[in-house]
Amino acid sequence: MPSASDPTVTPATTGPDPAPTSPEATTTAPKPPTAAAEPAAARPGPATAAGPHPAATGRPESGAAPDGGTTTPATTRVLARGRVGWIVRAVALVALAAAVLSFPSLAPNPYILSAGVVVLNYAVLSTSWNFVGGFTGYISLGHGALAGLGGYGTALLVTKAGLPSFVALAVAALLVAVLAVPIGYAALRVRGASFVIVSIALVLILLLVFQSWASLTGGSRGLVVPRPFPGLLRPEHHRVFYFLFAGLLGLALLAWWLIDRSRFGLGLKAIREDEDKAEALGTPTFAYKLVVFVVSAGFTALAGGLYALWFGDLDPVFQFSILTGSYLVLMALLGGVRHLFGPLVGALVVGIALEYFKVEFGNTPLHLVATGVLLALVVLFMPDGVLPAIGALANRLFGTTQSSIREVTAAQLREERTAGARVDAVAVPGGAQPTKERP
Amino acid sequence: MPSGALLFQSVILGLLLGGLYALLAAGLTLYFGIMRVVMIAHSAFLILAAYLAWWSHTRLGVDPLLSMVVTVPLFFGAGVLLQRLLLARLRAATLTMMSVLLTFAIAVTIEGLLGYAFTGTQRRIQLGYGSASFGLFGARIAVVKLIAFGLAAVALLTLYLLMKKTTFGWALRATIQHRDAARLVGIETEKVAGYGFGIGLATAAVGGTALALDTTIYPSLHWHWIGPLMAIIVVGGLGSVPGAAMAAMVLGMAQSLLQIPLGTTWAQTIFYLALFATLAFRPQGFFGGRLAQRF
Amino acid sequence: MSQPRSLATEGLTKAFGGVVALDGATVTFRHGQVNALIGPNGSGKTTFFNCVTGMIRPDAGRTTYRGQEITRRSPHAIARAGIGRTFQLCRVFPRMSALDNVLAAVRPHGLAGSLRGAHTRAEVDRARAWLTRLGIEHLAGSEARTMSWGQQKLLELAGVLMSDPETVLLDEPAGGVNPALLDRIGSLVRELNAEGRTFVIVEHNMDLVMSVSDHIVVFDRGRPIAEGPPSLIRSDERVLGAYLGV
Repeated sequence: MPSASDPTVTPATTGPDPAPTSPEATTTAPKPPTAAAEPAAARPGPATAAGPHPAATGRPESGAAPDGGTTTPATTRVLARGRVGWIVRAVALVALAAAVLSFPSLAPNPYILSAGVVVLNYAVLSTSWNFVGGFTGYISLGHGALAGLGGYGTALLVTKAGLPSFVALAVAALLVAVLAVPIGYAALRVRGASFVIVSIALVLILLLVFQSWASLTGGSRGLVVPRPFPGLLRPEHHRVFYFLFAGLLGLALLAWWLIDRSRFGLGLKAIREDEDKAEALGTPTFAYKLVVFVVSAGFTALAGGLYALWFGDLDPVFQFSILTGSYLVLMALLGGVRHLFGPLVGALVVGIALEYFKVEFGNTPLHLVATGVLLALVVLFMPDGVLPAIGALANRLFGTTQSSIREVTAAQLREERTAGARVDAVAVPGGAQPTKERP
Repeated sequence: MPSGALLFQSVILGLLLGGLYALLAAGLTLYFGIMRVVMIAHSAFLILAAYLAWWSHTRLGVDPLLSMVVTVPLFFGAGVLLQRLLLARLRAATLTMMSVLLTFAIAVTIEGLLGYAFTGTQRRIQLGYGSASFGLFGARIAVVKLIAFGLAAVALLTLYLLMKKTTFGWALRATIQHRDAARLVGIETEKVAGYGFGIGLATAAVGGTALALDTTIYPSLHWHWIGPLMAIIVVGGLGSVPGAAMAAMVLGMAQSLLQIPLGTTWAQTIFYLALFATLAFRPQGFFGGRLAQRF
Repeated sequence: MSQPRSLATEGLTKAFGGVVALDGATVTFRHGQVNALIGPNGSGKTTFFNCVTGMIRPDAGRTTYRGQEITRRSPHAIARAGIGRTFQLCRVFPRMSALDNVLAAVRPHGLAGSLRGAHTRAEVDRARAWLTRLGIEHLAGSEARTMSWGQQKLLELAGVLMSDPETVLLDEPAGGVNPALLDRIGSLVRELNAEGRTFVIVEHNMDLVMSVSDHIVVFDRGRPIAEGPPSLIRSDERVLGAYLGV
């Protein structure tokens, strides 16, 4: 069959289309058995590369899109889907905000309200963690320490320097962000492993220092933080701080979203995907990592400081706890680090579970086992988190745009192509067939 | 200025402590060399071994040293299984990060189970020879510390001979240096990696027994060990076993000497200072180890 | 012989443990031409690329480009100086769409530039134009990991070209690629060269090397042993010796 390997004799309807076709389509369609006609979706390995067909051999400018027929409708569909997606998102966002904001008036007692504050605090911390973890893929187990620094910084600025509570909070967060520069410099100059080591070492060294330096920090006796609103009763105090945390969460989410859609964010995600490659394309990876680490540290410190003002009592053992850091990781990972709301969802699940565990089982070492096992299960079986899984499920059930719009279009496009190939198989006159068949 | 005898005593103690650090850090850096894994659970296994030694002594009445007959093979097997069943499942692209979380999860689980089984109470082995000591040029050295050092030294020497003199050691070193190249010359790197992990955990079993001889143990003690050990392997150059051993001796000595003017708590900060200084000024470590440049 | 604008190395040396990968490699590439770098496996070609692009620090020697020394610069600075590269085993950002893969090569200008929202219409258009030119425009929305090997190779090339390098280093562009695509890559290199881009290609496929290159450098044991136009290299005894182990 002399014509089989020659792409120029391919029937015009199917030939220039380099799209992946389904296996059954290839068996019936009268396509030349070149590699390009093989099902690319199956990815049989490097040897059978199904590269784009040399449709406009040598003159790509003239060809524009190799299959102008399908590209245009696909593009319009992207836009249409984009509009639907926007509406879905806006509705979801309003519903979420309404749910968060109405919680205080629905909470049956002050304890539940305070649990809500704790969960929101976790949500802010985990979202702050996700600036580094989600964008760059660098896992920090030490963010608990940054929150602790924010808390102690705020408390010390109030008690020792006599600053007003919220001025102290802002200054403390700023100081932690400044401190994050040398820490990040040491941690980020080389790749991941040293970052992890520094993040753990940070918790351990700060615990050591804050426990030993009792004259400043109160050591293990603790440090009492004056309340910012001394006139408020306990439920009112919780309510006010609930809204403060909600506001901070909104701010953190907004910042994450802004970075997510910026060029800076694309560079960070490139680092996560392949740091060497990102650098070879001209991304100043070290500077990018450092900047986002500092931003993350600042938000984490804000949350830690706000917690100090709310809770009113700091103990190094809880402030500089590696376990706190691991909760943040677990939450973000469980929800989905690639998603804006992943850490929030994770914080809702894990935070509520932690509170429940505390009430139900008290302070047994079993919560360590539960945390460890859950973390291991997530790492092994669900490293992308629940949100993508739910998104995929929703896609399958309703065909809506729950996850990435682009992914859907790609899948859609492929499906359409398969259908198209089948039509071709029917449409091609039978006379052409015998020549292609094996003797 | 401290007296000569005190100084001498600190040097001796630093040497003895450095030996134990060296053994444990060798295990930790071995995992990293083999798989680019920072094995957070290493020190949790160390404490587990110490508990098993304590348990066999108080409940079964056996000498803690004898517990190694069980713990060393047991830990070796656990290491092989850990590598083959859990770590090998992780995606290569995110291996370093995800393995940290996985081994962290294991560490926390072990800590929780130890707390559940033995409560958080501090435990200590009471040995017949526990309080024995002898004088050396005015320094007093406890016999158990010497035994612990001896254990560490023998284990390190065994590790050294294993890596330098055996075919398996050659395969292991080749796997650490260049995994793909090792595979090309016919080394079954997966199998070698599994056994390498087993050996790493076996060092934790020996170290734990040595630790139990003269230290008070409790479930969360492993956090006090993992920090210094991680600092040591960075200073020594990630993945380099001789580098780790050398850094361990130097930092162990430094800690021991700094205890004279600073006290035990602040002397520990030397590890973290060394860690930050190394990463900021010489990320590839001070004692060889080219791997570290990129991790 | 010396061309001030070209990419050149002088005595580049790199050893891994006991293995000497580069042994004083001194090479000058021809500016504005298609250069090929060939040699048996393990002759140091990829290490050479890695040293030139700053991914590995050489133990000794220097690299100059357009008359400036770039030896100790970081990879991103070298990329910004105008040298783009592909990787031996084709590296794309697996969980990004093809379009984002290409857009990741856009250079933001300063802090304000990097914090700007989405890319400008012009940038997106340019990215799409590259995808179109490489024949993968229809995959713009697909995640790179869902694409076939050949498509990923083209995508990697599109990303590199988006960063608009004056000099392009290709590490085994023909590796694992079918004959049709191979022709396509060959003609693409010639076209892009005609538009003024310099190429340095590491390649084992002699058909491709002989058909596209103007100038060939042959490596053996970490240093160049011969260089010249294809016609000359084809008959060079040292080259045959290096390949056949004579």
